[in-house]
Amino acid sequence: MSSKAGALIAAALVLALALLPFVPGAIDHYYFSLLFFVFIYAIMAQGWNLVAGYAGQISLGQHAFFALGAYTTAILWTGNYLWGSLYETHPRIYYFDPVTMVLSGLVAAVAAALIGLPLLSKLRGDYFALGTLGFGEIVRVLLINGGDFTGGAFGLVAPSGTFDTLLPHYWTGLGLTVALAIGIHLLIKSRYGLALIAVRDDEMAASSNGVNVLRTKVLAFAGGAFIAGICGSLYTYYIFHVGPDSVLNLDWMLLPLMMTVVGGTGTVLGPIIGAFVMYVIFDFARIWVPDYHPIIAGLAIILAMLFLPNGLSRLKLGILKPYSR
Amino acid sequence: MHADETVLRLENVQKSFGGLVVLANIDLAIDRGELVGLIGPNGAGKSTLFNVITAIYAPSRGKVWFRDSDITGAQPHRICRLGIARTFQLVRVFPTMTAHENVLVGAVYGSGGRVANASQAATEALDLVGLSARRDVRTAHLTLSDRRLLEIARAVASRPALLLLDEPMAGLNATEIKQMVDVIRRTRNDMGIAILWVEHKVDAIMKVCSRVVVLDHGEKIADGTPHEVATNRKVIEAYLGEPSS
Repeated sequence: MSSKAGALIAAALVLALALLPFVPGAIDHYYFSLLFFVFIYAIMAQGWNLVAGYAGQISLGQHAFFALGAYTTAILWTGNYLWGSLYETHPRIYYFDPVTMVLSGLVAAVAAALIGLPLLSKLRGDYFALGTLGFGEIVRVLLINGGDFTGGAFGLVAPSGTFDTLLPHYWTGLGLTVALAIGIHLLIKSRYGLALIAVRDDEMAASSNGVNVLRTKVLAFAGGAFIAGICGSLYTYYIFHVGPDSVLNLDWMLLPLMMTVVGGTGTVLGPIIGAFVMYVIFDFARIWVPDYHPIIAGLAIILAMLFLPNGLSRLKLGILKPYSR
Repeated sequence: MHADETVLRLENVQKSFGGLVVLANIDLAIDRGELVGLIGPNGAGKSTLFNVITAIYAPSRGKVWFRDSDITGAQPHRICRLGIARTFQLVRVFPTMTAHENVLVGAVYGSGGRVANASQAATEALDLVGLSARRDVRTAHLTLSDRRLLEIARAVASRPALLLLDEPMAGLNATEIKQMVDVIRRTRNDMGIAILWVEHKVDAIMKVCSRVVVLDHGEKIADGTPHEVATNRKVIEAYLGEPSS
């Protein structure tokens, strides 16, 4: 199958998903919220994929950037210190506000750049991974001890009365998933993508051929954090309560990581396919065999690693081939 | 040669790892377009010298000059952008890229603005080493000989003034060695690039280079024409051995 046919099929699929809410009863169906969560995890997985799959830096701190994005949205929205009563009189004013969402991503990206500079210039491989995990714990302590600003151990509660439908969540999630897939596909084909792959393949050869390795890695790390931050913002509009236990949960790092690996690390479609397959397996296992669902989920990962070590998206399917790097 | 034609100058360069002195007070100058062989036994410090020039290691003492600039301790990517490209003893190509993409990295990032059309520069560099037919082959599928040629193409695509070749003939058969000699000659003659060439295939060095430098235990023990070096008593004792009668 040619890449043009693959792109047409993908476009038709996206269109079908975008129009799904217009099918009578679809919005109230369980699968509608399931798809929203697939999008959330696909976005998170794409962020991790940019850092680990393309830049070759295993980050175990994506949950911290997700939390920073979620808290930024909650703080801007509730505005306890920023604009006082505006939140109480106009609670919808920051609901799905694009500026708030972008700022949430930016806060996470700036934090990633600040922590990434020392970590990426000094640490490699496992040491860098542990450093990012440590950063997550620092963020946890700061959020818990942030007083009224962060709501302490309880966190912050946003005005849940603004919620009336899952539609904006669904469309925003779908839009971000598609935009990220296209954006990362174009990024990898660009000059910067060339540097990213070079750094991932061989840092010494990359630097000896003119690539500024540290700059390339920090940009990828900050880019991955930006994606996680925006995702955290979107999740805040769904959950309305951000706290260390809900948005700084290690699941926000581990699940996207597993989904990317199962789908295909270093591929554009891998995180999306992995998020869909793994989330569906996790969720159905939770419903059908609630007592054993972690075992089912674990087994699925072990089987995927045994029989699909390069990920689902690297299966010899013509439709996926153009996007398999 | 005039001083302004000198592309690389090492002044009293020393490199130690703890108490182990790997390079001791090396003075060396390479002129524009010169083809210089660098030989010596294993552990003589040849690759370390390359790593000091390209700033992978900082020298413990001494200075490295490129043209009129002191590049001691500069970052490796800046050294490349200034005009010093290199290959590695153990081939370091980007395995998930195609041959053309590999060379494109050198043209785009290594040239420091010297290349106007990176894709064309990459194509020309592949032509030079005879890899045009394999431009779209994933590097992991190339033979060792092709990967060594690809490293040279990638380095040449950055339009360097100086090319450091680290044992480009290691592991190659006689036919491939002949092809490599031809590529090195053309790189110097057609592109006007100065080359400092580390090699254990002494015959090739003696045949192709106009000047040969010999290192032993981190010290420069000879620097002259191939004939001068081949008849140098210190070199015979340290590396070449007595010619068989």
